[in-house]
Amino acid sequence: MTPDDQPDGDDLQTPASTWVYRGARDALALPAWVVALSLVGVGGLAQSVGHPVWAAMMSTLVIWAGPAQVIFYGGIAAGMTPLAVAAAVGFSSVRFFPMTVAILPLLRRPGQGFWAQCAAAHFVAVTVWTENLRRLPGKPPPARLPYYYGFAAACILLSTLSTGAGYFLVGALPTPLAAGILFVSPIYFTLSISAGARVPADWLAIALGFALEPPMRALLGDGFDLLGVGLVGGTAAFLFGQMLEGRR
Amino acid sequence: MTLDLAFVHGPLWPYIMIILCGLLPTEVWRILGVAAARGVPEGSLFLVWVRAVSTALLAAVVAKLLLSPSGALALVPWWGRTGAIVIGFACFFAFRRSFFAGIVIGEAALIAAATWWGG
Repeated sequence: MTPDDQPDGDDLQTPASTWVYRGARDALALPAWVVALSLVGVGGLAQSVGHPVWAAMMSTLVIWAGPAQVIFYGGIAAGMTPLAVAAAVGFSSVRFFPMTVAILPLLRRPGQGFWAQCAAAHFVAVTVWTENLRRLPGKPPPARLPYYYGFAAACILLSTLSTGAGYFLVGALPTPLAAGILFVSPIYFTLSISAGARVPADWLAIALGFALEPPMRALLGDGFDLLGVGLVGGTAAFLFGQMLEGRR
Repeated sequence: MTLDLAFVHGPLWPYIMIILCGLLPTEVWRILGVAAARGVPEGSLFLVWVRAVSTALLAAVVAKLLLSPSGALALVPWWGRTGAIVIGFACFFAFRRSFFAGIVIGEAALIAAATWWGG
């Protein structure tokens, strides 16, 4: 899983195209397959609401957020109004705001415009984010953006194909396997954030995130619960980490 | 002004829905993130906090997927879903941080639970 944690050698001489290739190669070593598998279920959901297969594939290409896509098709299946679907998708995607803020300093290049940065930010989703937050700091700054684009392209293209495959397959799967497909996202998210955890504060953020979700949901409802957990749990973990640092 | 419903609910409707109700409400957070990150240097304390908030948020997303699952996953009892996460998590570390081991064994546990206790 971590062939690329070691330096790749001849760093500054390596052309950008080689970094694009290395990013794609590292993604195809496992992460791209996992995120692709997690989006197979979305194809099945799109099929069940009567959308064409091209729309299912386009949802992966342009939304690029598994849970948001599940909510999108789940909302349509439940007969929600378009505005309610948009609101539910929006609330479920608040995480992209802090995630983008956290990774962008690694992806900025001199002379890069606002919209070029937005193009890079489009690929921010759990897999690309956790993997690159871990891998990019060890690479020379000029290599980071091409590596990231290679990694992201491999993930999103494979996932677009798997969404199309799921469109035709999921209905035919026996229930336990269909449940297994829907379970890929939670298990992979759990391992991804655990792999990114380095200091005690990271573990506290993870534990609080899990533990605070049920009470926050009871307190704030289905729309604002994730935001509440992130702010309260994340800030508590951050302060705890600062306290530990201060004691050293 | 009359709204052309044939257009709105015609063959292009799924694609219009994806743009307006799928792309816009997700992409807006990424674009706001780009705007907020301007001038924030790598390694600043602010980023440490932002990362903690992101991590807690992601853990909360997992808790939500486990506690209010959709489709076939809802047929597996809650302790089967939670237990499979714990097993996958334990195997991830038991096999020296192997994603492959964690995912395969966690999935096997979930599929077993779905086979014996699902629906």
